[in-house]
Amino acid sequence: MTAIAPPVAARRTARARADRRKQGWVRRTPLLPALVFTIIVTQLPFLLTLYYSLQSWSLVRPGSEHFVGFANYVDVFQDSQFRTTALNTVIMTVGVVLIAMVLGVALALLLDRKFLGRGVVRTLLITPFLVMPVAGALVWKTVMLDPTFGIVNFILRPFGIGHFNWVGSLPLGSVMIEMIWQWTPFMMLLVLAGLQSQPTDILEAASTDGARPLQIFRELTLPHLRRYIELGIVLGAIYVVNEFDAIYMMTQGGPGISSANLPFYIYQRAFLGFQVGQAAAMGVVVVVATIIIATFALRLIFTSFSGTEQAA
Amino acid sequence: MTSADITTAATVGSATAAPRRVVAKRKKQRNSITWGIVGWVVGIIFFFPVLWMVLTSFKTEAQAYTNTPHLFFTPTLSQYRTVFDSGLWPYVANSAFATIVSTLLVLLLAVPCAFALSLRPVRKTRDVLFFFISTKMLPVVAAIIPIYIAARDLHMLDNIFTLVILYTAMNLPIAVWMMRSFFLEVPHELLEAAEMDGAPLRRTMREVILPVVAPGIAATALICCIFSWNEFFFAVNLTATQAATVPVFLVGFISSEGLYFAQLAAAATVATLPVILAGWVAQRYLVRGLSFGAIK
Amino acid sequence: MAEVTYDSATCIYPGADRPAVDALQLAINDGEFVVMVGPSGCGKTTALRMLAGLEEIDDGSIRIDGKDMVGVPSRDRDIAMVFQNYALYPSKTVGENMGFALKMQGVPKDERGRRVREAAKLLDLEPMLDRKPRNLSGGQRQRVAMGRAIVREPKVFCMDEPLSNLDAQLRVQTRTQIAELQRRLQVTTVYVTHDQVEAMTMGERVAVMRAGQLQQFASPTELYDRPANVFVAGFIGSPAMNRFEATADSDGIHIGDAVIQPSDAQRQAVQGHSKLVAGIRPEHLSLGDGPLTMEVSLVEDLGSDSYVYGHLAGDAESSMIVRSGRVHPRPGEAVKVAVDTAHLHLFDAASGLRLGD
Repeated sequence: MTAIAPPVAARRTARARADRRKQGWVRRTPLLPALVFTIIVTQLPFLLTLYYSLQSWSLVRPGSEHFVGFANYVDVFQDSQFRTTALNTVIMTVGVVLIAMVLGVALALLLDRKFLGRGVVRTLLITPFLVMPVAGALVWKTVMLDPTFGIVNFILRPFGIGHFNWVGSLPLGSVMIEMIWQWTPFMMLLVLAGLQSQPTDILEAASTDGARPLQIFRELTLPHLRRYIELGIVLGAIYVVNEFDAIYMMTQGGPGISSANLPFYIYQRAFLGFQVGQAAAMGVVVVVATIIIATFALRLIFTSFSGTEQAA
Repeated sequence: MTSADITTAATVGSATAAPRRVVAKRKKQRNSITWGIVGWVVGIIFFFPVLWMVLTSFKTEAQAYTNTPHLFFTPTLSQYRTVFDSGLWPYVANSAFATIVSTLLVLLLAVPCAFALSLRPVRKTRDVLFFFISTKMLPVVAAIIPIYIAARDLHMLDNIFTLVILYTAMNLPIAVWMMRSFFLEVPHELLEAAEMDGAPLRRTMREVILPVVAPGIAATALICCIFSWNEFFFAVNLTATQAATVPVFLVGFISSEGLYFAQLAAAATVATLPVILAGWVAQRYLVRGLSFGAIK
Repeated sequence: MAEVTYDSATCIYPGADRPAVDALQLAINDGEFVVMVGPSGCGKTTALRMLAGLEEIDDGSIRIDGKDMVGVPSRDRDIAMVFQNYALYPSKTVGENMGFALKMQGVPKDERGRRVREAAKLLDLEPMLDRKPRNLSGGQRQRVAMGRAIVREPKVFCMDEPLSNLDAQLRVQTRTQIAELQRRLQVTTVYVTHDQVEAMTMGERVAVMRAGQLQQFASPTELYDRPANVFVAGFIGSPAMNRFEATADSDGIHIGDAVIQPSDAQRQAVQGHSKLVAGIRPEHLSLGDGPLTMEVSLVEDLGSDSYVYGHLAGDAESSMIVRSGRVHPRPGEAVKVAVDTAHLHLFDAASGLRLGD
């Protein structure tokens, strides 16, 4: 039986399609190493965590693991300590992010003005963000906030607060102060980028239209800054929720769990209590909460900032 | 209006112009000085803890561990000597190794990846980018348990390469996004001109594109180094003695048996100095790295 | 009454070696449409911005309606400005953009709305009042920028090259609209452009500037017929006026090998000046028997007439343009050119200034 040769046109499209597919793979190859590496190193652990969360497992008794379904989750939500640390996490995140953002906006406005040595001041202001978090926490705990020998109490002595035990009496607050110090530059840089991206002729137009500086700020600058502030709050929240270093160095979560946040509590359960199943379940809960915040971040990054905003 | 009237108006006008011009100029200078003062005061306040840390590191313990802090003193290097003699070097070596090797790996993987996602977009570019960011946003604490167990079972605990792998995965999303934003800035006329000049892709990449994005690569590398060097969570959980990094070294100073302020200040200074310098150098690109290239 | 007077107004940017605007002297009448024109860097935009309060008046003064503006901030000058890139407020709708200045003045909402709608009707913007600038075309944005200025009923309109971002056809259309609008509203307008065609068609009087200095301030006809110096002669009119090196003596005016007989008045004017620049527009030269010889290099046939480009015989460096009818010579030919001496312009070669009337 003779094979019927397909007509020329069909042959050509078939070849074109094969070419395009080959082109597609040529384009995709540079992508793959990074993609595959990331998938293996980041996604597998999460899947395993999900698996562990359904097990009852203690690291001190190897071989004891067995499937318990959602029992861990039930325990987690009934755990009062989980609720306390969850609340701490919320307080810490909301407090640090909002205060750092307010300070960040103020500092960005300051750095937007011209004055002598502005570049140096900017460099000084971004330094807290560059300081190794554990080093920063260590320095704040000892050199700054120590009740007897810390410089903060020395400065406050004329105001009568000379011997306050910051880290002892105000553990969550102290950690928050350190974190606000570290995160304000981050907010400042984002807002500053926003301020500097505002086209000057719009501000000039407002000036000739009779607007005073405060009016210009309220009517034009703030709306323009909105998406930068939103991005700062959402990204900041994601990072702050996961904060670990400062708590480890300053208070170890204590006294008790008064300054522990969820990541630290999970760490305690896993590495100090060796209760893998429960820790895994808590981890999953934190992941779900983060996903919700992260969706906002992603939406902002992809829509708000992918177009260009011009002075119309 | 006759020309005489115009001239009189002119002289009257310029008589009042001069003092008003001076007043306006002086007000501008006054404003600039006020902001300058506010700026410097605020800058020094924020910088103060770092400044105090560095100053303390040059004091003796007696000078540091005191009720009334000294601003003026004769500096000494004895704290630094102690810190290094007590074995800081291996930690520095580990940190340096993990940082440099992971950053090189990151660049090796991220540059082609970013290139594919920017200059030669594939279908699902958005999804891939989305995926990369999402890995950065998920809490590490939820992944640490399996990673720990895997490392333990593979005998990779206390092994510097474990950190290298993890840091690479940690920085890859940032690097991909940053490099992509730099690639997008290459004017496509440049590519079109190279194509018309008959250059094949790899050649174009090497001789045309790479020189243009070289500062971007440097900035990305610096930012990755900053995050790797400062990383604590993985280091403290997955290393012990052989592979411990500088942040882990600092943990030794929070013991309750006497706090050695000057010494820990010295250790903290050594720990933070490289990154502070790197950050000062890469300042311009910091925002881009932090916002995943969304903001320049 | 909104007269605008520049009285020796000067602006120097810090670090520059010459002023951006050097002792500008201009008296603009109430309701007049004045155009400032010149090549880039001539200071026209700076002069406009000094009037608007966006640049410092470093020396001299600027008066609006008799009141000195030195030290007075933009917002207190009652000036409306149309920016080159329109500078529309991106976060506000068209209606809010147009009403912004009124809002700053504290005008109540109803009246604001009324005045905005009136201006919108004038500019055909009514259907767009609720849109944001990013959803508008370039031409629509330009109209919103104009509308924003009109609503304010200010003392002066300042316009900074408002047509330069429009395509050619739209530009011509909008040009006439702006001129009509100004005639209707009778607001003193200072308009900056680098395009001398815009200047000539729109301005009642035109100020030609160069390197910060005013060259001539007169009506378009005056600029065309009696340019005050060589620069203005070459800048105004397209294609440009022919300018030849020339000398004068008892025989007449020598251009190259040719001799041209001037009128008595012209002869009088060049007394005492040996080196001259002789200017004559392409339309005042004609192909045919005459004193000049031209070597043709190129002919542009525009349909209604044509322009013959070339150079003076014997002077390959020179440039010469002659307007011709449908019949024209071919490139490479040498032709004779006649001169309409009544329209000969004579300038002193050293100073560039016009000689005679």
